Amino acid sequence: MSKPQKSNVKVRRFSKAFVWAHGVNAISFLALYITALPMYTEFFDWLYPVLGGPEGARLLHRIFAVTFVLPTFIWVIFDWKGFKLWMKELVTWKKRDLEFFTEFVKELFGFNFKHVRQTFFNAGEKINSIIQIFTALLIIGSGIPMWFSEYFPRAVVQWGYLLHNVGFGLAIAVVVGHVYLSVIHKNSKPGYSGVITGEVPAWWAQEHYPDWYDEEVAKGNFPEIDKDGNPKKPTSPDKKKKKGA
Amino acid sequence: MATEYVKFVDVTKCDGCRACMVACKNWNDLPAEPQDFLGSAQSHTKTTADTWNVLQYIEHENSKGDLDYLFRHSACFHCTDAACEKVCPENAISYTEFGTVVIDHEKCVGCGYCVNNCPFEVISLKEYIDKNGDKYRKANKCTMCTDRLEEGLQPACVTTCHTGAMEFGDKAAMIKKAEERVSQIKDRYPNAMVYNPQGVGGTHTVYVLAEKPSVYGLPENPKVPTSAVVWKDYAQPIGKMMIGATTMAVVGAFITNTLMSKKNGKNEDGGEHHE
Repeated sequence: MSKPQKSNVKVRRFSKAFVWAHGVNAISFLALYITALPMYTEFFDWLYPVLGGPEGARLLHRIFAVTFVLPTFIWVIFDWKGFKLWMKELVTWKKRDLEFFTEFVKELFGFNFKHVRQTFFNAGEKINSIIQIFTALLIIGSGIPMWFSEYFPRAVVQWGYLLHNVGFGLAIAVVVGHVYLSVIHKNSKPGYSGVITGEVPAWWAQEHYPDWYDEEVAKGNFPEIDKDGNPKKPTSPDKKKKKGA
Repeated sequence: MATEYVKFVDVTKCDGCRACMVACKNWNDLPAEPQDFLGSAQSHTKTTADTWNVLQYIEHENSKGDLDYLFRHSACFHCTDAACEKVCPENAISYTEFGTVVIDHEKCVGCGYCVNNCPFEVISLKEYIDKNGDKYRKANKCTMCTDRLEEGLQPACVTTCHTGAMEFGDKAAMIKKAEERVSQIKDRYPNAMVYNPQGVGGTHTVYVLAEKPSVYGLPENPKVPTSAVVWKDYAQPIGKMMIGATTMAVVGAFITNTLMSKKNGKNEDGGEHHE
């Protein structure tokens, strides 16, 4: 496109720990979904031979079940500050978060919209996080009695089947939107490379998370930039390093 | 379905000979499962993957303070609304034209959902080893000798019963018989009852029990677990609708975005300037 070229000055958005935690979570979730898919719907029964028969699928599902539990620990242990910020953001709800959703719907379908000022996580990311935390608890909490059914009362196992189903049914529906927004949707695409490398274009960060960006500028972590993302003339004294959020 | 058949078990006529267990093993080619002495004449605690019917021996103190030695031929009930059939993710469990409930080993993946949802706990998984030495599991239980029924024969256990405690026949006739029997034995067994639980839509094994179901370790009011109903009738279909709905939403978003950017492409102004 013939639009003015944006500067590719980057700033660090996510710590390495978060990048790993997110990656392990994503791969585990998809692997768990695929290894269980033939049991969810017979349309995918052809996956059994691919996965090494029902026994192979069962074994893989249990391996990825273990890796699915790891991300929280990775994040908590290696980036406690980032995890704490996440938790704090999740319980902070203001009027602008509601405004965000009205604008989000317009943006989603490609209509004109305005950016609502957001902090480190926008309201959509917060909703996504809350649903994923809730469903992960459901899935893990019910998966344990399903796996080790001989150690649990029958009623717990029986309700476990239901909660497992509710958990992943809700989770996958949200994941579809989450993946679309990062991988395909044009305005939020830089978020996808951001969650893999940990870094995002400065202009994009400022546009999408102005409160966070300004805060980091005030701390001297991020450069002040103009509309196209180029550092402003009187460059702040910190040419040194962009530090983690 | 032409005539609906049920197996009628009158436990008050049973003498505990265990011929039904032997006949079952014999017809279904099931290996013996040697057991340690369990403290009574009863050979196995309950049905297993290789022992599809077990004769229960129960020492019961009746309301007069006397000892009753109760027997019961226990096996799959072949529920009209079978929880195992409901929860099976592979449709491996189905109803036959006789109303019996059978497991198709070609489809069974050994997940054990049926094992954990059966209100009577009569289904078990069996581990097999294939020719590569790999283990796999399949669910097993009494078939009511469906393969015999198909040939016009009666279940092996019924055929072999020498006291007439078991009969196989037309459902209405069997239930009538059971009710008559209960009235005959009421003075000896005041708690006697017909056990044909309606919570599972009635069963294809109908009992005359001498005592309350709980005396035999049976549920007083068995039903398809509520969790299984919510799971299979609501959660699963709604879940499938939800992923369909979000997929439609993002496909729609992709299309409108493409259209919008085409429309706005020339004056390159969407109110905002994204790349």
